[in-house]
Amino acid sequence: MIESHGLTLTYPGGKGVFELDFVIEDGKTTGYLGPNGAGKTTTIRALLGFMKPDRGRAAIDGLDCFADAPRIQRRLGTIPGEISFPEKMSGREFLRFMNDMRGERGKREAELLALFDLDPSGRIAKFSKGMKQKLGIVAAFMHDPQVLILDEPTSGLDPLMQSRFVALIRQERDRGKTILMSSHSFEEVDKTCDQVLIIREGRIIHEGSTEMLRRSRTRTYLLQAARPDAAASALTEAGFPARATDNGTIEVPVSGDAVDRFIKTVAALQVVDLNVKHQSLEEHFMRFYQQGGEEGSR
Amino acid sequence: MSLALLRYTIRKNGLLLVIFYAVLAFYLAVMISMYNPEDMAEITGMLDLFPEDLMQAMGFSQQVSDLTGYLASWLYGLLMLAFPMVYCIILSQRLVVRKVDSGSMAYLLATPNSRIRIIVTLGAYALLSVGLLFMLLFGTGVALAEAIHPGQLATKQFLHLNITTMLVNQLVIMIGFFFSCLFNDASRAGGFSAGLPIAFLLLNMLGGVSEDYQWLKRLSPYGWFDPLEQIQGEMPWTVNLVYASGAAVLFGAAIFVFKRRQLPI
Repeated sequence: MIESHGLTLTYPGGKGVFELDFVIEDGKTTGYLGPNGAGKTTTIRALLGFMKPDRGRAAIDGLDCFADAPRIQRRLGTIPGEISFPEKMSGREFLRFMNDMRGERGKREAELLALFDLDPSGRIAKFSKGMKQKLGIVAAFMHDPQVLILDEPTSGLDPLMQSRFVALIRQERDRGKTILMSSHSFEEVDKTCDQVLIIREGRIIHEGSTEMLRRSRTRTYLLQAARPDAAASALTEAGFPARATDNGTIEVPVSGDAVDRFIKTVAALQVVDLNVKHQSLEEHFMRFYQQGGEEGSR
Repeated sequence: MSLALLRYTIRKNGLLLVIFYAVLAFYLAVMISMYNPEDMAEITGMLDLFPEDLMQAMGFSQQVSDLTGYLASWLYGLLMLAFPMVYCIILSQRLVVRKVDSGSMAYLLATPNSRIRIIVTLGAYALLSVGLLFMLLFGTGVALAEAIHPGQLATKQFLHLNITTMLVNQLVIMIGFFFSCLFNDASRAGGFSAGLPIAFLLLNMLGGVSEDYQWLKRLSPYGWFDPLEQIQGEMPWTVNLVYASGAAVLFGAAIFVFKRRQLPI
């Protein structure tokens, strides 16, 4: 079980995380979403015992994350956000070193190397970004830890390897592991996690099931219609805040629970093209962010 | 103490020790082979041509004639302080702050080893490697002297000289190690870890220039012993104890600050 109670950790510049409260039950996989600089890595630093909270406490399986860090590490696997390996080592040397430091044999090492198609014999300094990430994944999972704390674990992986990673997380979830995984990709979290924490400017603004989040997220559709003015007014009438852009495309933000109604409204129009706008996480969860902002200013 | 980490540290830093040992052993060999009792008077005469202040600043004294005094004056006055100082600065930075700055410390701490255990292991390597360096140099000196000038080196006095020089260097590496544990930023730690020993060495040299400035030596740990006195009497327990306790206090302080530190890794 991973818990955080009133966890507050501030940096000299005033940024940080404030009053974080969450509990991740045993066997649950939780996605930790938020834009860059929101405080995901800071939370993870507190959970790993690298930083001591100013107030509040973080605990894993009842052990204090700062004071009992070595005991926690015995059952923990982690991938740092910005992976930096000990210098001048080959991948194989690094894995052996981690096994030695843990005092146990990485029983899943060979299996994981095969899964991610990684040859660890070369020097890490010569590895590509993706290979380093794979090596980090192998090091985090090879001793089969009960708790996993992963900071943007798929960054740098190609789509094939990302999907293998997703499969690995699902497998571990089914084996009863407790997992906290930060990300800024909703898709990745959607595919793997039971529940989601959303953090913004150091505060958790949403905690709930992935299912609920899926329903409440907002997508922006780009509609090109034969008669743009008529289309825009039809959508506005149906309750969608449609907005015509300069190039004749209409932008329509649609929340997850209104997709069906949107499609049916659009079906009555003469459509030239319909597309989904590529969005940042922040735009995806505009509703949460806006609510969070209001709460924050209250 | 983590044996796995110690093995890794030896593998990654052993070469640095070998290089410094090789350079110093080379100097030792050259100095011993250049020694010639009959020529000592001539050398002394030649040295009179140089300004006396300069010679004294370099730690070279002119009134020695035996091999042990010759080495104490010509090698242990400056070279055996300055070269190992560079080693101490480089190693102390490598051991801790470079790992914190690059973030690879995260991997050491992502294992069931406490911060104390990791710092004790790294600090122990620092002390042991300086110890080994001087024990090797002592052995090399004895062997070379025996081969080139049999019976001329006062082994016991030469050992005393090496022990005290080793201890002052262990104090210096602990200064660097302490700052290496205190800061996140490699350049800031490097500034203190290098700046302080260099300042000490300069004070020691300035203090040697003339009687009037001898008090400067007192400000520098390097000036708390005189190599030439080391080879005359018994083991200088007091100054040895001061160096050893200084190193121990700094080691303790390094562990203390690192255990409580916020590590943005």
